[in-house]
Amino acid sequence: MSHFIKKDLLIFWRDRKETLIALLLPILLIIVLNFALSGVMSDDEDNQLDLHLGIVNQDDQEVAMTVLQEKLVNEASFTEANALAVSESMYALQPVDQLFAYFNSEEIKDFVTVQKLDEDEANQRVEDGELDGILVIPEGYTAETLYSSITGEAPAAQLRYKLENNTNENNILFNVIDGFIDQLNYQFALSKVEGSENAIVHAPQGGVETVETHTPFTLTVAQYYAVTMGALFALFLAATVAIKTGEEIRQQVVNRIYISNAHPTQFLMGKMVSTFCLAWVQLLFVLLTSNFLLDVFPDRSASFWAGLMIIITLIALSIAGLSAAFTSLSLRVKNIDAANGLFMFVVIILGAIGGGFVPVYILPNWLQQIGEWTPNGLALVIYTDWVQNETVSSILLSSLLLVGFFLLLVVIGILLYPKRGNAK
Amino acid sequence: MLETVDLSKSFKGNKAVQNVNLYLDQGESVGLLGPNGAGKSTTISMMSTLLKPTSGEIKLNGANTLGKPDELRKVLGVVPQEIALYQELSAYENLRFFGSIYNLKGQKLEKRIQDALEMVGLKDRQKGIVKTFSGGMKRRINIAAALLHEPEILILDEPTVGIDPQSRNHILETVKNLNKEKGTTILYTSHYMEEVEQLCDRLYIMDHGAVIAAGTKLELLSILSSEDTNKVELNHLDESFIQEVKDMEGISKVEASNLQLKIIAKKGSNLISNLVHLAEKHHVQIVNFHTETPSLEDVFLHLTGRTLRD
Ligand SMILES: Nc1ncnc2c1ncn2[C@@H]1O[C@H](COP(=O)(O)OP(=O)(O)OP(=O)(O)O)[C@@H](O)[C@H]1O
Ligand SMILES: [Mg+2]
Repeated sequence: MSHFIKKDLLIFWRDRKETLIALLLPILLIIVLNFALSGVMSDDEDNQLDLHLGIVNQDDQEVAMTVLQEKLVNEASFTEANALAVSESMYALQPVDQLFAYFNSEEIKDFVTVQKLDEDEANQRVEDGELDGILVIPEGYTAETLYSSITGEAPAAQLRYKLENNTNENNILFNVIDGFIDQLNYQFALSKVEGSENAIVHAPQGGVETVETHTPFTLTVAQYYAVTMGALFALFLAATVAIKTGEEIRQQVVNRIYISNAHPTQFLMGKMVSTFCLAWVQLLFVLLTSNFLLDVFPDRSASFWAGLMIIITLIALSIAGLSAAFTSLSLRVKNIDAANGLFMFVVIILGAIGGGFVPVYILPNWLQQIGEWTPNGLALVIYTDWVQNETVSSILLSSLLLVGFFLLLVVIGILLYPKRGNAK
Repeated sequence: MLETVDLSKSFKGNKAVQNVNLYLDQGESVGLLGPNGAGKSTTISMMSTLLKPTSGEIKLNGANTLGKPDELRKVLGVVPQEIALYQELSAYENLRFFGSIYNLKGQKLEKRIQDALEMVGLKDRQKGIVKTFSGGMKRRINIAAALLHEPEILILDEPTVGIDPQSRNHILETVKNLNKEKGTTILYTSHYMEEVEQLCDRLYIMDHGAVIAAGTKLELLSILSSEDTNKVELNHLDESFIQEVKDMEGISKVEASNLQLKIIAKKGSNLISNLVHLAEKHHVQIVNFHTETPSLEDVFLHLTGRTLRD
């Protein structure tokens, strides 16, 4: 079989112009799209943004110290003296002041404008579209946050983030607030509690509670296209391989192969393996080059990259399967041009609903769901999950599904493969 | 060694090949002649296991090969009418690939490749990409690719079509050597009578899907033994004159081109005096007259009513 693989790779290699385009065009597109779409998708490096956040403060900081002391004595069995000492030292942390200071800091002030409002007013402004979201500091927030950091219990009052609808602007605001929680936790961890031996400072467990639907995790533009663009061009590769098979039929070399008595599936396997190699190299090249140029994955671990290699391998496998099905079909049909047209059509459809052209996020929901059943769309799901969670267990099932795709396509290819020419 | 029995093929009711019976004995060199669309390539496709016959059989050493083509494929080499090569690969790479699909490997494969290249005289051009070759060079590599597994039977479908005389001579030499020195059995298809006369012991003439004559050159010529081919040159051509010549007794064929008439007539049919008589009547002058010994070309014309390359 190796001579079949060698032959197919050699033919690709001879067509160097096409090979070069297949490698460089995706990179070019990624760079262009990265600049063009950065504002559309949530990309927190974008400082063109001007977001408006309403903050509704329902907490009374004046009484917080007293409330905290009482709560420590009544619920956490602190002595009066201990409670006084601990709450005095903790009180200096003032989470609400820190929140405002955070929004006033240089890097946040640049793109988030904060307005202090009461709740009704804030709701009204959200409806009028003047605000992108509201952050509610609930009653007792200071006392509860401090209490929870001393005892390690979950706080009874959390920041509430209300958003009008789930837009990218909102996602960014959400990330900003989340950033604050991180900072606050860090502060707590640093602060030493004076006057108390047994009190340990815990970072509060809570965080932001979104009132409306949960914000889905989204990739940055560069992250998104580093893989989808490679997958899209790999899809085109499957069509190209089939078209080259059509060429072989026209050039009648297929007849020579038939009469040589070579085992019928050698031809098919040769196509599959060479497609796999080409697709793999292409995906890897696109991923590494875009990472090099755009710093797509700063500071990710070796195991993260190993996972990416596996994902690339899975995509290349499914592409190889597709090329097997296409090749067999090519060998079967009467009209090669029509078949080639069909392959291109299929590839473009798969590419589009699998998110290769525009981000899947902007497609209608039902289309997104169908898209997850395309090999490249499924690969995107796996990839997104991996970038976010980096856990094998959460991508295992979809990965097996993708392998299933591959096997299904191979079986289709073998079943469709004509039995030694039509003259058996 | 290889024979077809009532071989027929129809394409959607159009009978391309009808009841063709031909055989190849070991070591023979056999020609298959016929005008365009006669069904030569279709017959060859069936014999080379690429096309399924509508009816009839193909037998190798007496055993039917339909449904079990393996044995036949082993001993068969086919040079297709079209160039069947990877245009993007070099001559050497093509031969290497086509050799390895016959399970040839290593030193043996390398030697066969070099031998085949030597035979078609392109050893020094083996690194060249096929796409960049002339028509004649492509044809020669096309032949070399069928020789690598040293087939016992070699079928060549118009291997010299549209190429320069030098390449053509080379190809004819190659085929002759294969037949005479290596004992390869040859089935050679062509439009060119002189090639077949030169190469083949025996020949078949096909027209409209059927074999219309078969035999050695002498046997075929004897079809015409009772007739003569006469060439008459006139000072001008007159339709009614030609018509009257056609209507004369003992005339089987009249062909006119420029100021020449080619007349096939029964021996002793008093052609000359009749012709002189007619010429006077139509005020036509006979400039030149001679009788030719018949050629295979004449046999073909006689049988099909057409010249080979109509
Ligand atoms: N695949 C096909 N489908 C339909 N008709 C076909 C097919 N192949 C051949 N024919 C028809 O069969 C007849 C014989 O064709 P064939 O190619 O065998 O002729 P040939 O003798 O090889 O002619 P040439 O000298 O031009 O090569 C022609 O009328 C042709 O149109
Ligand atoms: Mg032909």
